[in-house]
Amino acid sequence: MRRAGLRTRVSAAFAIGALALSACVTFVSYELISNTLFRERERAAVRATYFDATVINSGLTGGEPEVRELLQALDIGADRYVLLYRSGQWYSRSADEAAGSAVPVKLQEMAASGEAGAQRIRRDNEAALVVAVPVQGQAVFYEIVSLRELERTLQLLALVLTAVAIMVSAGGAAVGWYVTRHALRPLAAVAEAASGIADGDLDTRLDPDAEPELGRLTASFNHMADELSRRLKRDRRFAADVSHELRSPLQTLAAAVSVLNRRRDTLDERSAAAVGLIADEVARFQALVDDLLELARSDKPVQREPADIGLLAGRVLRSRGLPADLVEIVPGTPVDWTVDRRRVEQALGNLLDNAVRYGGGPVAVRIGKGFLEVDDDGPGVPADARSTIFDRFVRGPAANARGGGDGTGLGLAIVAEHAAAHGGKVVLLDRPGGGARFRIELPDE
Amino acid sequence: MSAVLLIEDDDRIRLSLAMALEDEGYVTHAVATAEEGLELQRRQPADAVLVDLMLPGMDGFECIRQLRRTDDVPVIVVSARDDTHDIVAGLEAGADDYVVKPVAVKELAARLRALRRRGRAAAQAGPAMTVLTFGDLEIRPEAGEVRLHGEPVAVTRTEFRLLCELAEHPGQVLSRQQLLSRVWEYEIGDERLVDVHVGRLRHKIEDNTGRPRHLVTVRGLGYKLQP
Repeated sequence: MRRAGLRTRVSAAFAIGALALSACVTFVSYELISNTLFRERERAAVRATYFDATVINSGLTGGEPEVRELLQALDIGADRYVLLYRSGQWYSRSADEAAGSAVPVKLQEMAASGEAGAQRIRRDNEAALVVAVPVQGQAVFYEIVSLRELERTLQLLALVLTAVAIMVSAGGAAVGWYVTRHALRPLAAVAEAASGIADGDLDTRLDPDAEPELGRLTASFNHMADELSRRLKRDRRFAADVSHELRSPLQTLAAAVSVLNRRRDTLDERSAAAVGLIADEVARFQALVDDLLELARSDKPVQREPADIGLLAGRVLRSRGLPADLVEIVPGTPVDWTVDRRRVEQALGNLLDNAVRYGGGPVAVRIGKGFLEVDDDGPGVPADARSTIFDRFVRGPAANARGGGDGTGLGLAIVAEHAAAHGGKVVLLDRPGGGARFRIELPDE
Repeated sequence: MSAVLLIEDDDRIRLSLAMALEDEGYVTHAVATAEEGLELQRRQPADAVLVDLMLPGMDGFECIRQLRRTDDVPVIVVSARDDTHDIVAGLEAGADDYVVKPVAVKELAARLRALRRRGRAAAQAGPAMTVLTFGDLEIRPEAGEVRLHGEPVAVTRTEFRLLCELAEHPGQVLSRQQLLSRVWEYEIGDERLVDVHVGRLRHKIEDNTGRPRHLVTVRGLGYKLQP
């Protein structure tokens, strides 16, 4: 699985951090607020109960009082409910005999022993508070106070706090995303410069004053680019020097061998054979030096200019002594192509040489929109050779030893380099009816 | 039997090329320095000059420039260096063609023959004198003469062939490739040969080389000659 990007990870970390922090804050503040509110409510309820108990207490003095009337006379709101337990009998404002069932037994016992108390209970699925105050004559006065309103308030509070926590963590993620975008922006500049260098623009450098925090990165990047361009220049100069040093002795060899070759008839058989070998090898050596230099320089950018592709192909065929009418142009093919003329000529020429040397000669050169094909009449390319055929120094079995035997083994590698320099590629196909078909694909600029 | 002057400082190359050229039927004057070569050409003019660019003392570029002051002999640069800068500088100095070492002797002989054909075409003075007129520019193919404002203009043989090729197709655009094959007999060649020769001609036949009147560039197509 692909690892999540830096931005995603940083944003997630910010979000989790914000969530943890806001959850803590929410939890603590909820606890504090609810405790305070409950305590306030309890205190108020207890105070009210004592007040009511005083009223009841005075009402119970003397004779046989009408307890229910006493209770009904109390001024209570809708959320309170009063009870009186007296001589084993429960009294409430209504004729509800089971009214005392809501009062916990523990509280009843405590109150019976003459102690006042309060306890939180759940009644009809609602929170409530029961306050017990003993009054005279072994009676106990109870008030049940509904905490429904308080509970609603706390529910709302919890909802609001949760919403805030969620918004805070989303905010954290957004901050993470924003911050990383800013933090990564200088890296985008580095990436752009690096791809510029990779594309061959060796003068690309980063501005050391643009991002002071990235000073070290900038300095080492620019140092790397300097080193790279210095080495490339040195390599190119080396290639040029080598070529010069090889070309001079080769010129002597080529001229001297041609002098000897002219006199082969006057030499004895062994000497003539030896001279023939030297002449062939000198020719191959020349081709090798040219091909190696071509490869050494193949990373240079292409020099595009409009060229009539049909005429170009005709010229290349004629230069190889092949009939120009091998060229077939697919209808709808543009006449002028914007390409590096010299490189396309060489690539096509190499494919033709390849067809002559290994493929029994070219049978067609087909030109269509964005491609050039060379069909040959050979046995095709065996499957195990296909993956390496465009590698350097790979040669096929020569079908036709004309022109001094083997080639340099660099021809198809050069074709691949020239196609790649144009942003295209060379591919090997099967010609319908046997033989190989090499296709150079040159995309539009 | 035509004579070739070979200016090459590498003893082995000079010796082997001289032998090989003699096999091809040329009389070869081989010297090691530009100074010797210029001196020899004054005393004993050859029909073509082969010159290396890297020479001790006077270099090949200066040698070609000095030669061109008095001589329209075909000059081929034979250099081991193939970078654009050297090639263009050699052509601008006045060379007619260039080859990169190692060059096959057959190829060199073919180049020399192509240049000599050009020379001969210009030297064929016949009785029927054609005059091709382009405004104030007059070209006499048989006499090998170019006149601007009635004054003779000194052009090399290759420049003259190029001018005649364009003059024979007045107002018609000839592509670089067409000119390469007709003037230099190259099937596949370096178009810079054409461009540099056109530039050299403009210096001689145009009043303002920045805005040529006669020898104009048709972008993307080639060149044409007009009044």
